Amino acid sequence: MRERFDAIVVGAGPAGNAAAYTMAKAGLKVLQIERGEYPGSKNVQGAILYSDALERIIPDFREDAPLERHIIEQRLWVLDDRSFVGTHFRSDDYNKPPFNRYTIIRAQFDRWFSQKVREAGAMLICETTVEHLLMDGQRVVGVRCDRAGGDVMADVVVLADGVNSTLARKAGFHPEIQAQNVALAVKEILFLPEETIRSRFNVGEDEGVVIEMVGKITDGLVGTGFLYTNKESLTIGVGCILDDFKNNPKRTAPYAMLDRMKQHPSIAPLIEGGEMKEYCAHLIPEGGFFAVPRVHGDGWLIVGDSGGFVNAAHREGSNLAMTTGRLAAETIIEARAAGKPMNAATLKSYKARIDDSFVMKDLHKYRHLPQALERSPQFFSAYPELVNRAAQTLFTVDGVDKQSKEREIRSSFRASRSLTGLMTDAFRLWRATR
Amino acid sequence: MNVEVNVEEKLYQNRYRIDAGRPHIRIKQPDLCKNDCKSQACTFVCPAGCYKAEGNRAVTLITDGCLECGSCRIICHDHANVDWEYPRGGHGVLFKFG
Repeated sequence: MRERFDAIVVGAGPAGNAAAYTMAKAGLKVLQIERGEYPGSKNVQGAILYSDALERIIPDFREDAPLERHIIEQRLWVLDDRSFVGTHFRSDDYNKPPFNRYTIIRAQFDRWFSQKVREAGAMLICETTVEHLLMDGQRVVGVRCDRAGGDVMADVVVLADGVNSTLARKAGFHPEIQAQNVALAVKEILFLPEETIRSRFNVGEDEGVVIEMVGKITDGLVGTGFLYTNKESLTIGVGCILDDFKNNPKRTAPYAMLDRMKQHPSIAPLIEGGEMKEYCAHLIPEGGFFAVPRVHGDGWLIVGDSGGFVNAAHREGSNLAMTTGRLAAETIIEARAAGKPMNAATLKSYKARIDDSFVMKDLHKYRHLPQALERSPQFFSAYPELVNRAAQTLFTVDGVDKQSKEREIRSSFRASRSLTGLMTDAFRLWRATR
Repeated sequence: MNVEVNVEEKLYQNRYRIDAGRPHIRIKQPDLCKNDCKSQACTFVCPAGCYKAEGNRAVTLITDGCLECGSCRIICHDHANVDWEYPRGGHGVLFKFG
């Protein structure tokens, strides 16, 4: 297979597909290598698709992409063990096309995206794991696959190999990922009749609801839970910072956390009767701005999860993946048109492009958030409990006057956290999100 | 937390193509887990329950149910005792939905 390509893309997730599609469309000779049986068979996501990032690549994707439901309602729940305090935002504006976001099932969506990549002219080989990069000194010149005679050469290699960033790590481009910079998430897909989902979530055909959750469900660890409505199924999952899982004195297994969450009295009725058909686990790079490694060099670029491009605060990842994939492709296309070599000096313009996009701007805005949360575990245990107790005190009619109730609520906050502590937490959160 | 969880029941729903006799993850030095690792965190963090703590403090690994997340390699940072690769192309977990 001593064929030479303009570009090799490793991985067929959102980042790799965006890169391969954009380059193939521009007439480059592109080889894409995927280790799964088919694109999507190794990929895990919640999953929400944000239309904007895909629209910039395939404007008419809505015509045939496998989409589950467009989201018309966003719920944010703060839970203790028996209750939740929540906000719901629902707007009929989200029923006006073009829809802003959808739930998707990644195994189906990635297959569709990959079909588009091949139609654009890229060559795809599946069931092939890239073992390592081929180097000529400091320069990446190709990849070695786990097939006989599996060396393939290219002018540039786009690393879209996912959160473990195996190839860049092996090549020494960046060190091992740190456990405080990734979240371990587990999820299940639960099948229910379509009409049951509609009535339980108060939505019409094709309309969907997203519930993001924080609180006692994560057992005091820094993390969140989610429940998404697909067409005929629900996705439910929970994820926490890997380092928190590791250091948890209760030694809670992720699947035990998920099962306990499913039994929460506010959640159980929503998923009741759901038939579980798959259980997945995945890491999410949540280290943010400071955890993004060097993403370009001589003959290589890193896109998507492999580069840590996830905005954890807003639960956005696949849109950053598609955007970085597209920007990497545009960098390569432009360099090639100008007849420039694919070296670090040329590919530096990729960094400039992502810096100038929402990708790095958003990561920069929340750059202090991971550290702030790490130092304030009370956001995930003590505060949810206090807020729920406060609501219960206030809303329970029992002959106690309201002023006394307010006093009780105030003192409960101070008993659990000093006034200085409360102020510090508020300040930290404000500073980390402003 | 009185939740009895059988992770095998969950994994039973998944589709795998096992690369028989060629596990993609290995414990480099089993004695190191036994003697030098106090927490043995892999035995409860692994979302597929691949790592088991045995009565004699040994840790055993069976990769058949592996979800290929990478957690075990990352949390073993101090000892770096996990030899971790992706399965050969086409093998391992094959998500139907993902």
